[in-house]
Amino acid sequence: MNFDDKIPIYYQIENYIYHEIITGALKPGEKLPSVRQLAVDVTANVNTVQRALSEMITAEIIESKRGRGNFVTMETAKIDQLKVKLVTAQLERVYDQLHALNLSDDEIVTSLQQYIQQRGQAK
Amino acid sequence: MTDSLTMQGVIYKRGMKTILHDVDLTLTPGKIVGLLGENGAGKTTLMRLITGSAKGKGTTMVNGAASEAERKQYVSFSEQLRGFSGNVKLSRILDFYETVYSDFEADRFTELADFLQIDTSLKLAALSKGMKEKLVIALTLARRTSLYLLDEPFSGIDSMSRKKIINSIIQWKPENATMVISDHYVSEIAPILDEIVVVKDQTIYTHRKADEVREKFNIGIEAYYESLYERGNDYD
Repeated sequence: MNFDDKIPIYYQIENYIYHEIITGALKPGEKLPSVRQLAVDVTANVNTVQRALSEMITAEIIESKRGRGNFVTMETAKIDQLKVKLVTAQLERVYDQLHALNLSDDEIVTSLQQYIQQRGQAK
Repeated sequence: MTDSLTMQGVIYKRGMKTILHDVDLTLTPGKIVGLLGENGAGKTTLMRLITGSAKGKGTTMVNGAASEAERKQYVSFSEQLRGFSGNVKLSRILDFYETVYSDFEADRFTELADFLQIDTSLKLAALSKGMKEKLVIALTLARRTSLYLLDEPFSGIDSMSRKKIINSIIQWKPENATMVISDHYVSEIAPILDEIVVVKDQTIYTHRKADEVREKFNIGIEAYYESLYERGNDYD
C-alpha cells in the first residue's frame, strides 16, 4: 500500500479497510486477517494496524471476539451508515473546492452533471 | 513492563571532542523507532553506547540491565561482519552465531534466509552489497531478544531488497521487542515507524510519535525532519 506520509498511517489503514468493507471485498461477518498479517499486507507496523482496528471497533464496524479475532459487523445497517459517511466526506471535499472557485450551488450541480455525461461518453 | 532502553545523562567524548552529551532516551517495549540524523551526527555512536562497545558517562540500561555483559545479551546489533574473511562460507558464520549467542534460533534464520533468498552455500566475498545487507538483517533478527539495533540497513540497496527487508522486519520482530533503525533517508521506512528520534547538535534533539507528527503538524516525517535543519521553522 502506498501511504501519504502527511496523513496519519492508522487513519489511512482504517480507510483502506472501510473501502474493502463497502465494496464487499470484506463481507459482513467475515473474519479479518491477523494483525500481523494485515501489517505485512499493507506494509505498516503492527501497533499502527492495531490502532486502526481499535478505531474501527469503537465505530462498531469491526467486532473483536476474544481469542477468535476480528470480524466485520453483521449489522448491514451500520455498513450502510458507514458508506453514507464516506460518500458525504468525499462530496464535502468536492463541494468546498468548487465553492472556493466561486461556483454557485446550481453551477456545481450543472458541472457535475456535465462531467458525468462526458465520463460516460469517454467509456 | 520494563523499558527496553533507558539512557540518562549519557556523555561521550573522543579525546577533547564531545560527540554526544546529555543523552536522555527511554524506549518502551514493542516499538519500531527511527533513529534519524545527518551523516556523522552520532547515530552509530549512540548504538555502540547502547551495546556497550563504546563507553561513555551516565546510565544506560537495556531491559533493566546495566552491566555490559547483560546488555549484550538483550541487544541484537547489526554487525557488518568485518571480522570475517571473504573466504569464509556463510554456513560457518551461522555456526559462529549459534555458538556465541544462546538466543540465536537456527529455525528463525532458515525462515528469514528463505524469505530474503539468501544462498547459504556461498562465500562471504561472493555476496553483492544488497545480499550482504540481507544476510546481516537475517543474522540480527534470528536472535530472539529484547532490543534490535539496525544501523543504516538500507544504504546502497536497491528498492526491491529494501521492500523485502522492511517486510522481514514486520514479520519477524518479536511482539514485545523494540527495534531501532537508523537512517539518514527517512521516506522509505516512515510508514513502519512508531516513533522517531532525531540526533542533532550532539544530543537527542527530539523524540516523537510518528503519527503525532502527522496529526499535529499536517506534514510528513521527511518534511518534519528536514524542517529541523531550517532555521526559524521549528515545529515546537
